[in-house]
Amino acid sequence: MIGFIFSKVARAVITLLVTVTLVFIFIRFSGDPAAALAPPDAPQEVIDQYRRALGLDQPFWVQYTGYLNRLAHGDFGYSIHSGRPSLQIFLDRLPATLRLGGIALVISLVAGLGLGAVAALNRGRPVDRAVMGFSVFAFAMPNFLFGLVVILTGSLMFQVYLGGQGASGSIFGVVAPALTLGLASMGSYARFTRSSLLETINKPFMLAAEARGIPYKRRLLRHALPNAAIPLVTLVGLSLGSLIAGSVVTEQVFAWPGVGQLLVRSVATRDIATVQFLVLAIAATMVIANLIVDLLYLVIDPRIRAR
Amino acid sequence: MKLTRRTLLSTAAAIGTVTMMNPLPALAQDRPNLLIAVDALWETMDPVIGISTSGARVHYNLFDTLVRRNRWDDADGTELVPWLATSWERTTPTVWTFHLREGVKFHDGHVMDAEDVAFSISEQRLWGENPEAPRGTRYANGIIRVEATGPLTVEIETEVPDPSIAYRMVTPVGFVLPKHYYEEVGLEAFGQNPMGTGPYKLVSFDPSTELVAEAFDDHWNGPVPAQSLTFRIVPEYSTRFAGLAAGEFDVIVSIPADQVEQVRNTPGIVALEKSIENYPMFAFNTLNTEELPDNPLTDVNLRKAMVSAVDRDGIAQALWGGATYVPAPFNFPEYGDYFDPDRKAAYSYDPDRARELLAMTDYDGEELIWHITRGFYPNYEVAAEFMVEQWRDIGINVRIRVVDNFSLAYQRPFHMLNMSMSSEFSGDPYRPLWLDWGPNSSRVNASHKTWVPTEGYLEAGERFAAAQEFEERNAAYLDMVREWEDDTPGMYFWRNVVSYGVREDLNWDPGNSAVTIFDRLYIK
Repeated sequence: MIGFIFSKVARAVITLLVTVTLVFIFIRFSGDPAAALAPPDAPQEVIDQYRRALGLDQPFWVQYTGYLNRLAHGDFGYSIHSGRPSLQIFLDRLPATLRLGGIALVISLVAGLGLGAVAALNRGRPVDRAVMGFSVFAFAMPNFLFGLVVILTGSLMFQVYLGGQGASGSIFGVVAPALTLGLASMGSYARFTRSSLLETINKPFMLAAEARGIPYKRRLLRHALPNAAIPLVTLVGLSLGSLIAGSVVTEQVFAWPGVGQLLVRSVATRDIATVQFLVLAIAATMVIANLIVDLLYLVIDPRIRAR
Repeated sequence: MKLTRRTLLSTAAAIGTVTMMNPLPALAQDRPNLLIAVDALWETMDPVIGISTSGARVHYNLFDTLVRRNRWDDADGTELVPWLATSWERTTPTVWTFHLREGVKFHDGHVMDAEDVAFSISEQRLWGENPEAPRGTRYANGIIRVEATGPLTVEIETEVPDPSIAYRMVTPVGFVLPKHYYEEVGLEAFGQNPMGTGPYKLVSFDPSTELVAEAFDDHWNGPVPAQSLTFRIVPEYSTRFAGLAAGEFDVIVSIPADQVEQVRNTPGIVALEKSIENYPMFAFNTLNTEELPDNPLTDVNLRKAMVSAVDRDGIAQALWGGATYVPAPFNFPEYGDYFDPDRKAAYSYDPDRARELLAMTDYDGEELIWHITRGFYPNYEVAAEFMVEQWRDIGINVRIRVVDNFSLAYQRPFHMLNMSMSSEFSGDPYRPLWLDWGPNSSRVNASHKTWVPTEGYLEAGERFAAAQEFEERNAAYLDMVREWEDDTPGMYFWRNVVSYGVREDLNWDPGNSAVTIFDRLYIK
């Protein structure tokens, strides 16, 4: 078991190192940050001045090792625009993203599990077909399109603005973006719950429970659902990633001031330190989420513990 | 409403709060709280470090410049208006003296004096060896001494006689910052908590969300027309539009050119299209370089043929309707006396002449590559497609290569390079002609340079820079234009257009400018 944990952690560290390196390389080959910082028609001396200040005049290898060295010492760099620490900028934006992502996760889990269970229990009936039809729609709908349709419908038909509410935002302002962000996951949770539940219902232990005279409701809630939910843990772990990646688009569309919007802006303005740190932080979130899922399996699936 | 003891009490309490909080209740009553949806906010609000369109929309509401242009009566703003400076004169050919307005207060109540002005334009901030605000360097170009010579007088000395100093105090280097506060909090904190003398006083600034400012009722040029201003970041255009249509926003910026009609047709809102002092264009690469050893564009006749083959007026009309037009080279209305409405371009649309010019060259159908930065200038790519077809008609083969940012566009080889040039106000054509094309310009100096100025151009330019009287300067200016057209190192398209969507009952008009000011002169 120690070996299992060790191999998972080692893999996580390697993943992060590769991510950091790739981002470091790509951002330097996709355009000169110094030129982006200076006004478009700035004279060469001004651009050179910025380049020196950012250390971009150094050889690539020196920049790279210096960067890794600073990372190892917990120095994540500073925004080239505001001079503030990237970590601080990220932390300022994180609560907004967590709030949106958290609510999206709750909405998609509750709705997805509920719809999936309803479909499974009404297998083959029109309700089942309707739920499955909806889940395909939810899964296939691009969130930028869905978000825009929601916003424009609200505004042009009902005179209600559903975009980001700024600092004075209320809880109601979060529903439309959270629904947009969680829609795809909702669809896949519903499908997964349905098939998993159908499979579980036909397992021998369910027949045994019925033979023992356990009432239907209890059989379903205490025996079938928990067992059907095990594979969903993996799915939720994976979709944490899509919640964060999806937040890039959703936050942009709904003017939601979170990490996703920050990433878009930082890339557009070539704010290298901030982009590097954000990608690192997002990658770390995904890696850690997956690590937790792996470790959770140790708890809920005794077969792995036995290895 | 039924009158009960409770409503009576709460009404009384509310009135009590209002009177307590607002010493000027009469003013505060019916002023609107304006919500402006912007695509971005610059991360720092120091008005020089934050020079940018997304910063300038805010700066002029928090800060005042020494001198201002009058765009509330004349959209092109050719008249200078005393602002924080009440008057100025030239004491010697290189020294200008500015007299400051008395009793102007910063937002903390501190009274502005000459020390604040000298600090704002100081060596340390703007024009020294390693200035704190390097983006301001070129506006402060040529200044060698700034000194407070009295409580309300400041002297500015330039290296060579420069008649444009008063005009430059309209630009961001003319903003007056509070020395005491700036030195107390430091450069970075100032950018996050800016304070000036402007009509609005900062309440909160979060670069990721919004900036909120409230009316500064001690403003020297009051009364301030809005109770508060909120600049909220809404990056997606459709969302800004939705918020405006739903009544959430009062003003939105940057409507895509093809969406203006939709805004115009939405009840309750109006669309404003303003042509501003910025001109999208391309530069011909006139040089033979290592990457481009046999550049056909070294032949001036090919360049002239290309300019003559393109119907810019037709294209501008088709893409913009009446929102903008194609000026003759460097003949811009913002230049007051230098502007001549009757002057025509030396090379305008004439396909026959284009063919004649082309016949005089050795050009043999080689592919010419045009670097264009994706989506940077509205309608640029569409116009480029039209132009490529018109060149094809006379046998010139141009291929557009769209890239994602400027540093990629600057990578050689290219034959043509997209850019825009501002005619930043100096009251004359100094900036677009001499700073943008002269011997120190990036067209001539940068790694992506494309031109070597002709002898005649340099001679006229030096004459222009040295001349002090209008007649002499104007003659030199016209000579420069002639030399430029004779060598045709680039082609200007049209005046750039910015657009706003505004709530119908808000009587606000920014003039021909990307700068938004919400004081009593602009809100009627």
